[in-house]
Amino acid sequence: MRTGDALTVAIPGPRGYAQREVTQAPAWRGLVAWDLLFNGMTTGLFLVAAISELAAPQVFTPVAKIAYGIALIVLLIDLACLVLDLGDPLRFHHMLRVFKLGSPMSVGTWCLTAYSVPLAAAAAISALPGGWTHLDGVRRLAVIIGLLPALGSAVYKGVLLSTNAQPGWKDARWLGGYLTSAAIMLGSAQMLVLSSVMGHERATAMLRPALALLLIMNLISLGLLVADVRATLLRTYTRRRMYGVGILSLGVGVLLPLGLLLGGSTSLFVVATAACIALASLAVRFAIIRLNNLGSVAS
Amino acid sequence: MAGREMEVAHLPRSSDPPSGELAALVKRLVDPFRQGAAAEQHVPTGFYTDTTVCIGCKACEVACKEWNLLPADGLRWTGNSYDNTETLSATSWRHVKFVEQFSVVEDPKVSSAGFSLERLLNEPKAGRWLMMSDVCKHCVAAPCQQACPTGAIIHNEFENVFIQPDICNGCSSCVAACPFGVITRSSLDGHSHKCTLCYDRQRDGLIPACAKACPTQSIQFGPIDELRERARARVRDLHQRGVTSAYLYGDTPTANYSRLNSFYLLVDRPSVYGLPDDPVNPTIHMKGDYLRAIASGFAAIVVLLAVLWR
Repeated sequence: MRTGDALTVAIPGPRGYAQREVTQAPAWRGLVAWDLLFNGMTTGLFLVAAISELAAPQVFTPVAKIAYGIALIVLLIDLACLVLDLGDPLRFHHMLRVFKLGSPMSVGTWCLTAYSVPLAAAAAISALPGGWTHLDGVRRLAVIIGLLPALGSAVYKGVLLSTNAQPGWKDARWLGGYLTSAAIMLGSAQMLVLSSVMGHERATAMLRPALALLLIMNLISLGLLVADVRATLLRTYTRRRMYGVGILSLGVGVLLPLGLLLGGSTSLFVVATAACIALASLAVRFAIIRLNNLGSVAS
Repeated sequence: MAGREMEVAHLPRSSDPPSGELAALVKRLVDPFRQGAAAEQHVPTGFYTDTTVCIGCKACEVACKEWNLLPADGLRWTGNSYDNTETLSATSWRHVKFVEQFSVVEDPKVSSAGFSLERLLNEPKAGRWLMMSDVCKHCVAAPCQQACPTGAIIHNEFENVFIQPDICNGCSSCVAACPFGVITRSSLDGHSHKCTLCYDRQRDGLIPACAKACPTQSIQFGPIDELRERARARVRDLHQRGVTSAYLYGDTPTANYSRLNSFYLLVDRPSVYGLPDDPVNPTIHMKGDYLRAIASGFAAIVVLLAVLWR
C-alpha cells in the first residue's frame, strides 16, 4: 500500500513452524471427561463394595448388594459414553478383534469386558428375592473374579492419556495414579451415601474416616499430577481459571467434604459430601481433557 | 519392532452380498474377526525426501489427492508463506512446508516508518527458502500402530504403516499417539486416515504418486536400505560442496525413537521444519505409569482395609 511517496510493505504476522505444536489433538472432548468420571464411579463403587463385603460381611453385605446394581448402571452409562465418542460407533465391537498389551485402550476394553460379566452376575443375583440365599456363594465368587478386571478398568484410563504424544498428557506421569486413587475415593463416597440412606449406621461410621483419609490421599496424588503438568497448565489456562479450578478442586473437593464429614452424620451431610466430591472430580477431569487442546485440526 | 498382524487384503472375498437385514448384521459383526493368511513379505520400502532440492511446486500434494481421491481442503490464506494446507490431515496426506528465512523487521515503528521498497531492494540478500514435502514417517516402531486397539493399523508386507479402512472405528488413539502430528480423524467417515505409501500402487509394481510426480526428485521412493545409502552419499556430497549443515533426520534410531522408513535430508534444526527435535515414543513411559497407577490403587485399598479392620 502507498503512504505518501513511499511504498511500504506489510510485515506478515508470526510465521514458520517452530512455534507451533507438532501433534494433532484427538477429538476427545466433554464426553471423555464424563467417561473419566463414570469410569471411576463404577469401578470404585464395585471395588469398595466388594472389599467391604469381603472384609466385614455382616456390616456391608446389604449395602454391597445394592451397590453392585448401581455400579452396573453407571458402567452402562460409561460404556455408552465410550461408544458415542468413537468416530464410527457402529464399529465399537472392532475393539475386541485383538488384544494388545501395548495399547492401553485395548487393555481397557478387555478389562471393562471382563469386569462387566461378574458385575452383571453379582448385580443380578443381588436383585433376586430373599429366598435365593443359596446363590450367595456364587455372588461372592463373581465379586472376587471381578476384582482384578475392575482394578484394571480403573488403572488403564490414566495410562491411556499419559502414554501418548499430546502436550500436557505426555508429562502426566501421575495421571493414572490420580485417577485410580480417585476411583477408590469416589467408590467410598458412594458406599457412604448408600449406607447412610439405607440406615446402616455401623457401615456409615466405618466409611466416614476411610473417606476422609482417601480424600487426603487423593489430594496428594493430585498435587503430584499438577506438578507434572505445571508448564502446560500455565500455557493452557489463564491465572484466573487456574485459581478457579484450584479452588473448586481443593475447596469443594477436599476441604468442604472434610468439614461436612466432621460436621454431621445425617444423610443430608453425607449426600452433600458426595455431591461436592463428584462436582470437584468432574471439574478436574474437564481440566485434564482441556490440557491438550492447544491446537486441534478438523479435517 | 512392531508385531506383525494378519493382512485383511488377503482375506478370501465373500462371493455373494448378504441378503436380508439379519444376514447383513451378522456379516457386519463377524467380518472384522475373520483372519486371512499373512501376506508374503517384500523388501521394506520407504521415502527419502531431500529438502535441498524441493522447489515447493506442490505437485506431490496434487498427485496424492488425485490418486487417493482425497477431497479438497478449501483454499485458505494462512499468512504463512505459500502454505495453504497448514498440516497433514485425514484429507491431506502430503503437505509442502515453506520456511522463509529472511531478515524481518521486528520493531513495528520501523516497519511502518522506515520499511520501504527501496530499502528492501537494496538490503543484503542473505536469506533463503526452505521447503519440505512432509508425509507420514512410517516409523519402524510406530506409536500409532502400538496404540491402535482394533488392530486396524498394521505394518504391511512392505514394512509401511497402513490403516485398514474397513477396520478403523475412529477411536483416535493413533491421533493422540503420533508425535509427528500425521494422523487425524476424518469428519466425512469418522475414521483415521493418512498416507498409505500408495499401497495399491506398490502392489501393482508402481511407485507412489507423489514420488512419481516430483519433478526434482526431492521425493525418492525405493527399498529403504538403498535409500539410506543414497541419502548418506548425498550428505557427504553436500558437505564436500560446503553445505555442512546437511544431515539426515530419522535415518538412525535415537534413544527415544526408532528409525523412520520415511526420512529427510535437512539443513536446519528439525523444529524449523515443524518436526520434533527429539521425538519420543510415548510408550516408553508405559510400564512406570502402570506401576504408579496400580500402586496408588493398592495404597487406597490398604487405607480402606486398615480402617474397616480397625
